[in-house]
Amino acid sequence: MSKITVEQATIERKKELGNSYFAFEISPFSKVKAIKPGQFVHIKIPHTDIYFRRAFSVYDVHPQKKAVEIIFKVFGRGTALLSRLHPGDHLDILGPLGNSFAFPTKKETALLVAGGIGMPPIYFLAKELAPIMTNKSKAVFFYGGNSRTDLVELARIKRLGIRVVTATEDGSLGFRGLITKALAKEIDGLSGDCRIYACGPEGMLKAVDRLALEKSIPGQLSLEAPMPCGIGICLGCILPLTAGGYTRVCREGPVYNVGEVRL
Amino acid sequence: MTPDLKVEIAGVKFENPILTASGTCGYGEELADIYDLSVLGGIVTKSITVKPREGHPPPRTAETSSGMLNAIGLANVGVDKFIDEKLKFLEKYDTKVIVNVAGARVQEYVDICARLADCPRADMVELNFSCPNVDEGMEIARDPLLAEKAVASVKKVFGRPVIAKLSPNVTDVALIARGCEAGGADVLSLINTLVGMAVDIESFRPRLTNNTGGLSGPAIKPVALAMVNKVYKAVKIPLIGIGGITSYQDVVEFMLCGASAVQVGTALFVEPDAPVKIIKDLKKFLIKRKLNKITDLIGQLKEY
Repeated sequence: MSKITVEQATIERKKELGNSYFAFEISPFSKVKAIKPGQFVHIKIPHTDIYFRRAFSVYDVHPQKKAVEIIFKVFGRGTALLSRLHPGDHLDILGPLGNSFAFPTKKETALLVAGGIGMPPIYFLAKELAPIMTNKSKAVFFYGGNSRTDLVELARIKRLGIRVVTATEDGSLGFRGLITKALAKEIDGLSGDCRIYACGPEGMLKAVDRLALEKSIPGQLSLEAPMPCGIGICLGCILPLTAGGYTRVCREGPVYNVGEVRL
Repeated sequence: MTPDLKVEIAGVKFENPILTASGTCGYGEELADIYDLSVLGGIVTKSITVKPREGHPPPRTAETSSGMLNAIGLANVGVDKFIDEKLKFLEKYDTKVIVNVAGARVQEYVDICARLADCPRADMVELNFSCPNVDEGMEIARDPLLAEKAVASVKKVFGRPVIAKLSPNVTDVALIARGCEAGGADVLSLINTLVGMAVDIESFRPRLTNNTGGLSGPAIKPVALAMVNKVYKAVKIPLIGIGGITSYQDVVEFMLCGASAVQVGTALFVEPDAPVKIIKDLKKFLIKRKLNKITDLIGQLKEY
């Protein structure tokens, strides 16, 4: 049986989250049960001259409804055209793609770090971790952005019951400054083992990577690169490995151990 | 009656005329996660060189109108690993395997093809004379005498059919085609990508680190059709059409222009299962047109 499928699905729900962020619930997708946190889907934007598919980290899944949720921010023409679609419109969806996050051990505290549009895969991981955690203080969700309007779906994150730490660069919500500062502070006050998970802008990922290496904390980063094919055949989405050579972000990634990729 | 999609090219029997193009399907492993590779008429594997190559630094692909630019730089595992691992993997599938071979000098083509001669699952080799993204190799693509020599040298060591893949980045593609035919090429495949460029207006730099790349996708289909038709009239050996094929209609166009089979390339990046759909649609087309065999289409273009 195929591990990956290409299917026609429908936009069931569309939610405008403000500041050019949008959420789509798409169904049916037959492989919904197989999707793991960190994986992504590749979506063809219909009826346009946009040639490549666009990659979106899976934000949430609803196996009963066979639904996949994504969140995206309008950056270029592709996402702009996608944002103009409505419930009932069809999408061509390819997935599930890429690897996924490794769960923490029982004694490790999960430090989940989301920056802006990097939030979706971190939320999905937190959602999967929440029920299996006997002690909710064993996970902390760090969510940072330029301004409060970048911290979308905050109420939903808080409903997971784990502690949420927010930071904004303009100080409009939570700590004023970078989320990585808040993370460093938390690590300094922690006793016992922890593991970092992060997804967000390049600068944030570099800072998390450096911090984790300095403090010898294990962790994983979900990385991004333009992905023409999403399945590993075009060799376009490569990044350099610290050990030498390149890695295909869509196939060997998008989740890498800290220190693995030269950021 | 089910229409017959079988084609025979240089004595090699293909279940259908839909092949994947080199550089767009890896060594088959990734596509095998989506569908059974046995549905394909054939798979043309990524170019292999004597030694493994990492390729160019990123960014090495860029989206363009109706297509893409790539400057991958022949990233590949090298002939040893290819034979030990990749070819072994492909043995599981009931499809023809065409190994695309690239080199800087004629001797490198000969060395690789001599190794492949001992691998019965390499049904054919396709000589990539035409990658526009590496410094070496283009002389063979542009010089009919050198192309003739390269084909003839490979023919001496590889006992099965040899395909020469032609570049569109030449003054007269028919001239190179005749050179390859004179060298004993059994088949010609065309076209490879066209040299192109894209510029980032924010940084004022090219969008590829290599500055230029190979343009592929639907944008190049008209160029490919014209070249296939030109070469069809210039040589007697069979042709495999390549260039922007995404649908059964495209396949029919290429076959009418003289191709005996086609390779689906860049479309795989957008629709990895495009060959599956095309094969299904081709059958419907033949039924609708009351044609029994797909080979009835080859070279049937009516000229004005």
